[in-house]
Amino acid sequence: MGMFILRRSGQAVLVVMGATLLVFIATFALGDPFASTGDRQVPPEIAAANRAQFGLDQPLPIQYVTYLGNLFTGDLGVDFDQRRPVIDMLAETVPNTVRLALVAILIDVIIGVVAGIIAAVKRYSFADVLVTVLSTLAIGVPVFVIGIVLVANLSGVGPFPTVPRSFTVEVPWYQEVLLPAFALAIIDAAFIARLMRGSMLEVLRSDYIRTARAKGLSERKVIGKHALRNSLIPVVTYIGVSLGVLLGGAIITETIFQYNGVGFLLFRAISGNNAPVISAVVVFGVLAYVLLSLLVDILYAFLDPRIRLN
Amino acid sequence: MTTLPPPTGGSPADTAEVAAAARPTTQAPHGGRRSAGPGQLSDIWRRYRRNRLALLGLGIVGLLVFLAIFEPFITPFSPFEQNLLNTTAPPSARHWFGTDVLGRDMFSAIIYGAKLAVIVGLATVAMSLLIGVVFGAIAGFRGGAVDSVIMRTTDVFLAFPLLVGAILVVRTFGAGVTPVIIALALFGWTTSARLMRGQTLALRESEYVEAARSIGATDRRIISRHILPNAIAPVLVYAFTNIGVVVVAMASLSFLGIGVPADIPEWGRLISQSAPFFQVPGKSHLWAFPALAICVTTLGFAFVADGLRDALDPKLRGRG
Repeated sequence: MGMFILRRSGQAVLVVMGATLLVFIATFALGDPFASTGDRQVPPEIAAANRAQFGLDQPLPIQYVTYLGNLFTGDLGVDFDQRRPVIDMLAETVPNTVRLALVAILIDVIIGVVAGIIAAVKRYSFADVLVTVLSTLAIGVPVFVIGIVLVANLSGVGPFPTVPRSFTVEVPWYQEVLLPAFALAIIDAAFIARLMRGSMLEVLRSDYIRTARAKGLSERKVIGKHALRNSLIPVVTYIGVSLGVLLGGAIITETIFQYNGVGFLLFRAISGNNAPVISAVVVFGVLAYVLLSLLVDILYAFLDPRIRLN
Repeated sequence: MTTLPPPTGGSPADTAEVAAAARPTTQAPHGGRRSAGPGQLSDIWRRYRRNRLALLGLGIVGLLVFLAIFEPFITPFSPFEQNLLNTTAPPSARHWFGTDVLGRDMFSAIIYGAKLAVIVGLATVAMSLLIGVVFGAIAGFRGGAVDSVIMRTTDVFLAFPLLVGAILVVRTFGAGVTPVIIALALFGWTTSARLMRGQTLALRESEYVEAARSIGATDRRIISRHILPNAIAPVLVYAFTNIGVVVVAMASLSFLGIGVPADIPEWGRLISQSAPFFQVPGKSHLWAFPALAICVTTLGFAFVADGLRDALDPKLRGRG
């Protein structure tokens, strides 16, 4: 177990290092951030001064090593556009994204697990068919379509604030997070419902469930206590990985709802060729994904002792 | 947990099997495709046919391919022709799906979008399949340091968000259909590489590979003639599932204003152009038709992939 964690952590570090290199190359390939573009003319001497100020006149390998050194000392630099410390921008957006991810996962789990259990326990019933049909359809719907339909029909209605949010309106975070979280949750909930149904059906066929029933336990206890625990294992894995993806920022959803999280920040940074912000957000996202995948692998072994790591 | 049967070794039957497995390759250098003979194909089709959703999916995919090939003959209007005097018109007898924000015939634009979706979907999947299969086969066959390097590279690309990577690539190469294909393939090959590696690892130790090696076949020949035909089926099924994902990813890119150029009627682009009308009553046809087209396409490919998986491996039926 210890060896496994050690080896997987080593791999995780390698992956994050690889991601820093990849994003460094990608932001370099985006081109000169201080060059003149159509409507923004920059005198060559100012562009050169800007490049020198941000170290872009150095050879690439030196730039990369400096960037890595700064990254590991927690120095993310300032952004090209407003000269704001990137760490401040992350501090402002990361909590929003974390809230969004957690609320989305919560909605996922509630809808997905309940629907999956009902479908499995009452197999071939109307409810089962309904869950199967709805979850199949939901998987085919891209998240931006869901987002648009929600914006078109529900923004400004009841507790949901208008999108984009007016600066004259004060909205508490739990109202603002609802619609985007729901948009993110629908597809994942459909996956979880299918996963839950399949795994519950498999568990219900096993011997120990027959034993539990033979002992005369109530159906409620058999399902809620004995079957539920084991059938949750694949769902836990899925949720973990899904959370890792969401923490990196839901770029589409956050952009549609103009939600001030890392995804929307990343979208604006890419549009503005703002390399320090791009690399910070991407590395943060990769880190979140890698850490949660690692966590899921370890958790998996704890939940299911039959699985031997190594 | 399934337990593997204990490895059998040294019985006379084994040597006969090895000889039988080796014989066709030595006698017929051009290698007939024995693994999927006509009997097996009709068997697969018989199992596939039983699944009604899979048949529906096949119908949808067939329709899409038909639209893609005959697009110039089906579209009632040019999908590019703008008419700024007749924009955002609701569906009518003349314009079945109405007109879009630039006054283009929505029906024609949707059909043109189908052509783009099929082209980009197939090209991207073919390209990522090629990258994935080559890297996966090499990693699985060689093992050791080569395997480690390739697999860690795969991990990096897997952890890198697909959409972000694709946006960065498209912004580097400029808007266009080819950059979109390259971008999506560059960040979409990882799973086929992993699948291919797993398959190769399992087949590498098989007796017919040993037999091929014993008669002096080169690594290259063993991989391409012996391992590839036997390993490819699950990778192909995965690739097929992925076409839907690619179509959504392309639409997402153009929805963010980054994929194909603005004047090309791509589904995601059609939706993003109608953004100012999202909350305007009576204008929902502007985004509803392209959105519906994307959903139907994704579902079609998903149904086919599901049916194909069940048909190829009957043991998996009823899972999930």
